[in-house]
Amino acid sequence: MSATTRSEGSMFSAYRFIPRRSLVVLAGMAVVVGVLAFTVADKFYLHVLIMMLFYASISSAWNIVGGFAGQLSLGHAAFFGIGAYTSTLLFINFGVSPWIGMLVGASLATIVSGAIGYPSFRLRGPFFTLVTIAFAEVLRLLTLYAHDLTKGSIGISVPFRPAAGNFIFRQVSAYAFVALAFLALTVLVSLWIEHSRLGYYLAAIREDEDAAQALGIDAARYKLVAVLISAFLTALGGTFYAQYIFYIEPFQTFSLDFSVLLAMMAIIGGLGTVWGPVAGAFLVTPLQEILQAELGGALQGLHLVIYGTVLIVVVILLPQGIVPSIAAWAKRTFGQRETRPAASRKEAA
Amino acid sequence: MGAILAQVAVSGILLGGVYALISIGLTLIFGVLRVINFAHGEFLMIAMYASFWLFSRYGLDPYGSIVLVVVLLFLVGLLIQFLVIRPILNASASMQIAATVGLSILLQNLALVTMTANYRSADTALSKAVISVGPLLLGVSRVVAFLVALTITGLLFLFLQRTYLGKAIRCTAQDRTAALLMGINIDRVYLVTFAIGSALVGVAGALLMPLYPVFPTVGTYFVLVAFVVVVLGGLGNLTGALLGGFIIGLVEAFSGFYVPELKEAVYFVVFIAVLLMRPTGLFGVVGAEEVGLK
Repeated sequence: MSATTRSEGSMFSAYRFIPRRSLVVLAGMAVVVGVLAFTVADKFYLHVLIMMLFYASISSAWNIVGGFAGQLSLGHAAFFGIGAYTSTLLFINFGVSPWIGMLVGASLATIVSGAIGYPSFRLRGPFFTLVTIAFAEVLRLLTLYAHDLTKGSIGISVPFRPAAGNFIFRQVSAYAFVALAFLALTVLVSLWIEHSRLGYYLAAIREDEDAAQALGIDAARYKLVAVLISAFLTALGGTFYAQYIFYIEPFQTFSLDFSVLLAMMAIIGGLGTVWGPVAGAFLVTPLQEILQAELGGALQGLHLVIYGTVLIVVVILLPQGIVPSIAAWAKRTFGQRETRPAASRKEAA
Repeated sequence: MGAILAQVAVSGILLGGVYALISIGLTLIFGVLRVINFAHGEFLMIAMYASFWLFSRYGLDPYGSIVLVVVLLFLVGLLIQFLVIRPILNASASMQIAATVGLSILLQNLALVTMTANYRSADTALSKAVISVGPLLLGVSRVVAFLVALTITGLLFLFLQRTYLGKAIRCTAQDRTAALLMGINIDRVYLVTFAIGSALVGVAGALLMPLYPVFPTVGTYFVLVAFVVVVLGGLGNLTGALLGGFIIGLVEAFSGFYVPELKEAVYFVVFIAVLLMRPTGLFGVVGAEEVGLK
């Protein structure tokens, strides 16, 4: 009973400190990526690096709802598309800097996510997933329909006007640093959620929503907070994508396949963990980019055959995902060495 | 104008028959296994390719090869149930969705790699045949698909009501634990149900072949419609899926007539409205959306 009153206004306060280890990992990753961005001369590998960082960020953003809150959304392409289209349309039509457009798009996506999330979170399991698919499809179809504004299926090209203020860089490595900053932001937000009251509420909701509510957790409210944060971050990724690829069209940006890809990376890496989506994206993206480049049109789709298989195998054999499974394995193999002698000493005594 | 509207309505109902046929397998599987098969559309794609190759290689009319396609899909269903669905029956909803989505990605791209992205269609003698009934024009293939959909639903209903296996399936759908306690081999019920659900979409694939071209992502379009239909009819509700198919067929026909560019958006909006206001579907039992889904 007092749980509700105590929680008022304090869901963002850190419940436990963010472990220094995680921050060290993040800093280490930043250093490695920074060095790679400067040293990798091959444009293609630089592109792979950027896409890895990009997917890791968006998949982490998805994971806030899909993983932490346990609500399997397959409609995140909607937020991504809103971000991409808002900043691009503002830039092309009104010359608004995509940096500002990015924030406008993210705010718009946040509002839309609230409007979608509020009624949808009453639904559970597959019903929630289906409604998220339907919302994203409606947005895609409306984007196609409003072709006067969006140029419909022709798509929009972002004009190449390199300037830092235009979020367009001549140096490809600059995109790597922007993507890195974006990944650092989503990982920090994830770490902070994981160790805040909000994270604990979300974990409780994920494990058993009825029990969480019986304990006084306002499930609808916290799920909504999770989707607002997730949508904001996902939309930032949409702007980055538009500025880096220079071309957006409804079938790609609003596609169910894109939403599925984000979920897939997080599930393969480890659903509901901070590092799972990052690991998943780092594993899956190079495979995708390299196979696509090597095999090209001849065997397009082969990387997706591999993805699909990996996804099924992970779900059946490692339902926790790769990161938690490795962590558990490490604990078993390296942890035992410490505990066994202690136990035998006890027996001896 | 009246004649045109009547024509639109009849087209909608015929289209609805096809949608219903695709949806019945999906809803049967959900009702019993409580798993939404996101790869259902890919089963349809497999059936259509099978039907296409039998037609173009061996000159078998899609209606003639229907039994072969159904048997093939029944076997595909057995295999998939054994390899993919059985291990995840007790997993969380998220994991079940992930596994079937993975299966969908796998099958779709396997088709892309082996069959290429080309559209292939079987122009049979009946493909473009039209009969006129009074002022109305009816495509023969559509009428056949419609009549078969009704017949199959009727047969399935009889099977579930009259046979021992059918009763075991309904019993398992109502309460798996009780079914187990009554000595029903629910593992086998799941296996058979999944295979029957797959065989039903096999029928649909064979009937669609004279009407639509087949390509690797053909299932995506139809499976989204099937989701709309089954939720509208109430997940797990067979007659609901039949009626849901007709409703969506009519919605699509009329919105295609009045707002052609937005016809898909219209039924997705209907879908969202139904999910949000009555997630149990128009004919579902209240509370059904939460059974076993937590």
